[in-house]
Amino acid sequence: MTDATTGMAGTEGSDPSVPAVQLTGITKRFGGIVACDEVDLTLYRGLVHGILGENGAGKSTLMKVLIGLVLPDEGSILIDDQPRTIHDPLAAAALGIGMVHQHFSLVDQLSVWENVALGEAGKLDSSGVRRRVAAISKQYGLEIDPDARVGTLTAGLRQRVEIIKCLRRDPHILVFDEPTSVLTPEESEQLFSTLREVVAAEGRAVVLVSHKLDEVLHATDEITIMRQGRVVDHRPTQEADARSLARAMVGREVSLRSERAAFGLADIEEAVDADPEDRPPAETVISDEPVLRIEGVSVRGRGGARLLDDISLDLRAGEIMGVAGVEGNGQRTLGDLLSSLIPLDAGRVVVNDSEVRSGAPGAMAKAGIGVIPEDRHDSGVVLDMTVAENLLMVDPHRVARHGVMDKGQTTETALRMIEEFDIGCSGPDAPLWSLSGGNQQRVVLARELAAEPDVLVAAQPTRGLDVGAIEYMTDRLRQTAADGVAVLLISSELEEILELSDRIVVMSRGRIVGELSHGNANLETLGLLMGGSEG
Amino acid sequence: MYALSVVVALAISSVIVEATGGDWWPVLKALVDGSIKAPGRWGETLGIAAPLLLVALGTVISAKAGLINIGQEGQLLMGAAFAVFFSFRIGGPGPLNVVLLLLFGALGGAVWASAAGLLRYWRGVPEVLSTLLLVFVAVQAVGYGLKWQWLLLADEASRGNRNLVSEQLTKDNRIPRPDIFGNEFPITVYVALALALAVAYVLARTVWGFRLRMLGHNPRAAQRSGVSSTTYGATALAIGGAFAGLAGAAMFAGGGFSFGNYRLVPGFSDFIGWTGLLVALMARERALPAVVAAFVFAMLRTGAGFVNSTGVESRITDVVQGLLVLALLVPPAVVFLRDRRRARAAATERV
Repeated sequence: MTDATTGMAGTEGSDPSVPAVQLTGITKRFGGIVACDEVDLTLYRGLVHGILGENGAGKSTLMKVLIGLVLPDEGSILIDDQPRTIHDPLAAAALGIGMVHQHFSLVDQLSVWENVALGEAGKLDSSGVRRRVAAISKQYGLEIDPDARVGTLTAGLRQRVEIIKCLRRDPHILVFDEPTSVLTPEESEQLFSTLREVVAAEGRAVVLVSHKLDEVLHATDEITIMRQGRVVDHRPTQEADARSLARAMVGREVSLRSERAAFGLADIEEAVDADPEDRPPAETVISDEPVLRIEGVSVRGRGGARLLDDISLDLRAGEIMGVAGVEGNGQRTLGDLLSSLIPLDAGRVVVNDSEVRSGAPGAMAKAGIGVIPEDRHDSGVVLDMTVAENLLMVDPHRVARHGVMDKGQTTETALRMIEEFDIGCSGPDAPLWSLSGGNQQRVVLARELAAEPDVLVAAQPTRGLDVGAIEYMTDRLRQTAADGVAVLLISSELEEILELSDRIVVMSRGRIVGELSHGNANLETLGLLMGGSEG
Repeated sequence: MYALSVVVALAISSVIVEATGGDWWPVLKALVDGSIKAPGRWGETLGIAAPLLLVALGTVISAKAGLINIGQEGQLLMGAAFAVFFSFRIGGPGPLNVVLLLLFGALGGAVWASAAGLLRYWRGVPEVLSTLLLVFVAVQAVGYGLKWQWLLLADEASRGNRNLVSEQLTKDNRIPRPDIFGNEFPITVYVALALALAVAYVLARTVWGFRLRMLGHNPRAAQRSGVSSTTYGATALAIGGAFAGLAGAAMFAGGGFSFGNYRLVPGFSDFIGWTGLLVALMARERALPAVVAAFVFAMLRTGAGFVNSTGVESRITDVVQGLLVLALLVPPAVVFLRDRRRARAAATERV
């Protein structure tokens, strides 16, 4: 994929000089917030157009306008030079516009072909749909078993189902919204080669919405950069470089290290080479006594599958231990275990020399383990409650007397945390769902750190965040460790692990297959371990 | 929105009444007369609103914990039966007895709801099913109790005929019904109002209420934060049942023609439990709006009595009543759907 950057325009089919889509002066306001402010966008057949911007820059809203989920307040839409109004997604589909959403809309209980057939009118032709799925997966190299149950598939495969669902309607214009946010590096690479094929061979117009610089640099032909609802820059990809893109996107200089974190995989080698020398000297002395000891822990899933298999870890105060591994190899289970969400079947978890009852509500939190969960919507926040309530979730007694929460004190505490962690919200009483993903993550971080934990578990802490937010998060994690907290960093972003960790363990199929110190860890050794070859 | 949907329901009703040969205007007039306008009627309406409100408050509490308790009818009946058993088989001195029988009623409802709680947290039986099915068990159990004198049945002398009824509560054991402007209602109305305020306060302001709501919104986040779904959920169910049971006891000791006249009779619960559930729905599971909702539903009930006397066929008046209930429940459903869509849109937009 790395060399597929140049503007090679596969333009068989219709006239490439007529824009497939021309959006002019699109403006959309939500209440007082201008999500899109006079945005212009032109898409040509045979080109991949990257739309780059931080979370909340207006990318998603713009795409929703294009597929009819949002009606613009102002502006015009030309499809193949014809003025159109797109009232709903069905109208968009009729115009040949299809979108692969960031969040899947699949029915877990149904099989792949059934999911593809969903939304189709008329008689259900199971063998026809199966054939179709097979044909599409063959044509684009999206290998998948049409009869597999969607609930059993990995995120990467689910996305394939979404893509097949979209391609089946044969759209001329394809929108991918943050497609790699749930994918492993290998899966991302595969996706981009598919994308290339779709564009080059068939002359479709593709939009790639992303906040990852690297992705946009390597997979697109031209780039539009948005910030705060406006288009701040537009240029062919050949003329773009990471630094200038980052600057345009954030509106200021970003530290190189965090910038790299946002790049994705292609810069890993460079990052690794540069890293050991650049690394700031460790300021804290890492103590010898382990704060968190995980001793021979096993967890079995339904049907006896070994989710965690005899895991042992020692975590000392002041160090960051990275847990690397391809996703789905027990990391989530480890996070759940340390969040008191599941009991263990064997072994024990010891914090500060006392054993913690696994699976008992709040036991881990009480013992001093703070958690930034992998999926904050799952166990990290309550979307329907206010920011203040979310900040006080774990320890409401802090602002309570005789079991009654003091309103003034609640607000005051929340305001202090909002200020300290720079949480963007309209106030302590704003419902949490009204916050952007990055700010929701800050709420979690603020709450967990305010509890003054001895151990902080950070699972995929920067996933889905933009450059600025990643920078903030990594700085905070480093600071936390420097303050003497033992940090367990569970991540599938190798380069994040390599950058932050003092020690690295690698998980594969629920086991720890190797441990490396910061000095002798590099991509190759990690990759070998992750692949399951011990040693 | 409420006004609009009620107007639509009234319009449809008028067409139906006229089409079946009735007269529309008297029906509407009877509805208003029966519920508030005629002498003594708003007192009657309040008397019905009180148990409705109590049931609804219990429903609100269970719902906040994310539990769907739909067995209030049975819990209410059990509460009444417990109160009756206490009054005639255990008893206490005069006025104190009134308080005790109300508490016993609450206990009865709590026990009945806890059966569902036990099934839920011990065996994983969904509470939607168990609470519902326990209604029918409660009806049978109380019917059985009314066959035996050592349980609930009155002795032969005081029951007059062979009907399966309990003894009548003596005067000094009844809940007072002071007369205000020609209207009388039991003072449980004030108790219910006070409890509505209390429930609203507890849910909004206390740590317990906070954690209960957390459990309802996101059980996993609650578990992680130290809220035991078993403890909190079972407690919420029991409290929900206690409120229904209290309502049953209050109906028994509070009098009013519709509630067996201080006796436990077959069919005593008279759909108050089911209707209370609707009250909670209309109030969108919030305590204070439930006060208004309870009164509105009580109006429908007392008004319906008068409508039946207008000469319009009773099946038609049932349809009218049904339409009005529907009209009251459509707006909260619409609001719910709109909120959810909005929240979901916001969630996907800003990830």
